[in-house]
Amino acid sequence: MTPFELAEPTSLKEAIKLLDPDDPTIRPVGGGTALMLMMKAGVFKPVKLISLRRIENSYSTIAATGDGLRIGAMTTLAALERSADVKKAAPLITRTLKTLSNIRVRNVATVGGALAHGDPHMDLPPVLMALGATLTVMGPKGERKLAVEDLFAGYYETVLDKDELIAEAHVPAHGTKKAAYMKVTTGSADDWPALGVAVVLEGDAGGIKSARIVASAATDKATRLKSAEAALIGGKVDDTLLAKVGDAAADEAEYIADVRGSISYKRELMRVYVRRAVRAALEGAK
Amino acid sequence: MATTTQDAAKVGAQVGRSVQRLESREKVTGRAEYTHTMRLPNMLHAKMFRSTVAHGRIKSIDTSAAKKVPGVLHVITIDDVMKVIPNPYYGPAFHDQPILAHEKVRFVGEPVAVVLAADPHVAEEAAQLITAEYEELPPVFDEVDALTSKVYVHDELKPAGTFADLKHLKDAKNTNMALDYRLRKGDVDKAFAGAAHVFEHEFKTQKVLHLSFEPHATIADYRDTGVTLYTASQGPSFVRTEIARLLGWPENKVRIKVPFLGSGYGSKLYIKLEALALALSMIARRPVKVALTFEEMFYQITKHPCTFRIKSGLDKDGRIVARKCEVFWNGGAYADIGPRVTQKSGLTATGPYEIDNVSIDSYALYTNVTPAGALRGFGVPQLVWAYEGHTDMIARALKMDPVAFRRKNLLREGRPHATGTILKDAATEKVLDKLVERMNWSQPFDNGSGTVKRGRGLGIAIKAVITPTTSVAIVNVSGDGSVTLYCGTSDMGQGSDTAMAQMVGEVLNIPTESVRVTPRDTDVTPYDMGTLGSRSLFHMGHAVQRAAEHARDQLKALAREVGEPENSNTPIRELFVKRYGMQAGNVIGTGVFKPDYVPPAPGTGLSDNVTAFWMISGAGAEVEVDTETGHVKVTRLVNVLDIGKAINPQVVESQISGAASMQIGFTMFEKMHLDGGQVTNASLADYKIPGFHDIPPMENITVDTYQSNGPFGAKGVGEVATFCVSPAIANAIDDAVGVRLMELPLNPETVFRAIRAKAGQPLGDE
Repeated sequence: MTPFELAEPTSLKEAIKLLDPDDPTIRPVGGGTALMLMMKAGVFKPVKLISLRRIENSYSTIAATGDGLRIGAMTTLAALERSADVKKAAPLITRTLKTLSNIRVRNVATVGGALAHGDPHMDLPPVLMALGATLTVMGPKGERKLAVEDLFAGYYETVLDKDELIAEAHVPAHGTKKAAYMKVTTGSADDWPALGVAVVLEGDAGGIKSARIVASAATDKATRLKSAEAALIGGKVDDTLLAKVGDAAADEAEYIADVRGSISYKRELMRVYVRRAVRAALEGAK
Repeated sequence: MATTTQDAAKVGAQVGRSVQRLESREKVTGRAEYTHTMRLPNMLHAKMFRSTVAHGRIKSIDTSAAKKVPGVLHVITIDDVMKVIPNPYYGPAFHDQPILAHEKVRFVGEPVAVVLAADPHVAEEAAQLITAEYEELPPVFDEVDALTSKVYVHDELKPAGTFADLKHLKDAKNTNMALDYRLRKGDVDKAFAGAAHVFEHEFKTQKVLHLSFEPHATIADYRDTGVTLYTASQGPSFVRTEIARLLGWPENKVRIKVPFLGSGYGSKLYIKLEALALALSMIARRPVKVALTFEEMFYQITKHPCTFRIKSGLDKDGRIVARKCEVFWNGGAYADIGPRVTQKSGLTATGPYEIDNVSIDSYALYTNVTPAGALRGFGVPQLVWAYEGHTDMIARALKMDPVAFRRKNLLREGRPHATGTILKDAATEKVLDKLVERMNWSQPFDNGSGTVKRGRGLGIAIKAVITPTTSVAIVNVSGDGSVTLYCGTSDMGQGSDTAMAQMVGEVLNIPTESVRVTPRDTDVTPYDMGTLGSRSLFHMGHAVQRAAEHARDQLKALAREVGEPENSNTPIRELFVKRYGMQAGNVIGTGVFKPDYVPPAPGTGLSDNVTAFWMISGAGAEVEVDTETGHVKVTRLVNVLDIGKAINPQVVESQISGAASMQIGFTMFEKMHLDGGQVTNASLADYKIPGFHDIPPMENITVDTYQSNGPFGAKGVGEVATFCVSPAIANAIDDAVGVRLMELPLNPETVFRAIRAKAGQPLGDE
């Protein structure tokens, strides 16, 4: 790793001021778990890092709101994992975090970083996307709202400007919805996923009223599978319907090949795991 | 803890006790010293610039930008090295590896230039500014291609002279073959011609990494009067010999100090960073530290990928009458210890079976990838992967039970091994019997239903310890009666210090915990070949036992001399006081061990005493295969071993579970992915090793044996549990879903593709 300058502003506003929309060598850093890997590999050589760890504490808190959760972007994944409010309003998040990376990463990695990094292998983005979460994004011109679904532009790319920061995430409560996330690894159990599938459904095995199905890791960005969702809605959920849903998902997604699997293989994983995730959601995850 | 303290006070019966590791408190409290975290005053850090091409002639190296970085003291290429070490080539088997790339580069990642700075970050920044131009040459990557390729990794071979059986390769040109080991017994061609069945298969293993938790690190401190190296090494004696040779100095001017190692697994054997650190310190005339990052370890040393063509002829009753083995070892760009692996594992390529007609050819081959060396098993896991898969395939084809087929052909105690050496203290039958019993093999097995199928499989293996090698030990009894052991075995986590201290305690009738084992320092610790191939407990154990007995005999003589009656319990201190008039003096016991050995006959490889001891192990696995995705879950792993008598049962248990867990990674998913010679997953983010969730339920069993020529009946255990894990799992997968996998790793995609191919619906290549 080569030397760089580290700034530690004490407010979000100050942090935004220190960012430069035209200079990619200046970057914000949350927990740093992902950025450090890139810096160690020499893929990213910053001139200056803007650490967010000293900004206002409110951005590290979780609050239950009337209809769900407000999660500060600097909340660590471990805090999210242990929050009683999260477990109550969005138990899917709690379940997902148990197998998300490892305890050392969860202790420092942040919710905002997991989203803003744009890495398709992260487990949290597809889950938040399936839950219909939205973000408050702050920039020099003020704040704007953005659905997590609209955040990702491509492989390690988001729609955020270089001087914009995610301030908060807003997650609607599950309510009567049924949800599941399946992380599929092809290396060690704690490897990055080869495929992640998040499913949030309204209805039951007799008929699904609404569905959000999101795939990640096998794809260049977390992606909603709308034709699979459409195939699922309406009819009785049986093996025939699930096979159709799996096939629709397999056909719809665009895949990337890497050390975790070829395109052909990931397509088959998608076919199987979308089916399994829908079933798991309906049967109620343990 | 209370029982431990009580145990500690006990004298006698030190061998066979589960003594807590002597160093464990130091390690868990972070006080143990490792080279990687060590600093010397005035020390410089080195960072390397590495080749980006797999094979090429160096046209130019531009270091000008690096030299301008503030804080950079030296930027060094081979030209600078040759001003201080005119012949800059090193290695255990061949003097083929230049301290920095010389004229050619031979693999992606080969060190080409080095930056020295007091601040390692400055050195790294500057190293990234170095550029080089190469005239690219066609590379050779595959071990089978390398045998016949017209691309030669080295223009000329340079055997080191250390090993007699490499001498015929001196000055050989136009070849990539660094050793051709052969064994011939009986008449293979005739036996194949008369065989009722002939089976021929080809198995492959992949390139994997040792991944020691302490990366390679060496500090050299060169003075005109002598040089000291602090190094994470499994073989301080060899490092001393090689550094002295490079300097043209006597060995007594070279001091090698080795603290604890954060594991090694064979990656820190012989000579690694030491030659480079020496050259850098000579140039800078300051202490210099060379310490790799985890990512750089992918360019230091790996396990040998291997292609094994195995052919067996059987009579109509299922007896193997002939076996032909052709083994190709992918040695990478520099020989390292590859030729030893090729020979010493090659001689057991036919497995633990009695076969009258045998032909083995085992080839060490140069290729344009990261060099390969020893990795926990010294080549044997690669061989067992092939011969135990082959054995199962034959049994299936002949519709014989895999256990019955093995029993019919098993090499038994008292019978001749393929080399001609009679099998002794090698519990092949006991291991197989115990394995079969624990696996409930005679009971019907539920193969599952629906999309999850179940299967079971097993394997059995043999290894010959590398012979002959020498160990020397010193036991020093001080004037107060306290005892210090000097031995060169590197404790890299395997618990050797504790086991050696137990042997001293046993002989001298003192508590193990009272014995001090000095950190390795060639100024005081005597010669040892190296901590390798499960040899230390046997070889160094013998030397330690002899040294302790020598000390004990001298103490008895001292007692007689001062007028004590035979077997008196007078404290040792009082003997010294009586002899010297005060607390003074020493008793120095020394012990040397080198086993008997008959070198293999040229041409045939036959010998009636080819090894000091045999290692035997078996493994059985039960698996569940998800037929929709190819995921394999190992639901049970049974390891059965013949290790002689356990010196420390608790350490034995951790060696078995550690070795088997490591092999689980090599079996299920570990793989260095290569693209044009470039490792594309050279980081821990993309190269994964097993975590707790990957370790199956494991049962580890040692059969009741006693190694008659071993110290206290013991023999080595470090590698033995690696041998059979891979074929046992592949055999279980075959039992579950009827597909045969012949290349490691057995990752989900590989399994799934095989399932689809068998169903006539092969998966696309996309």
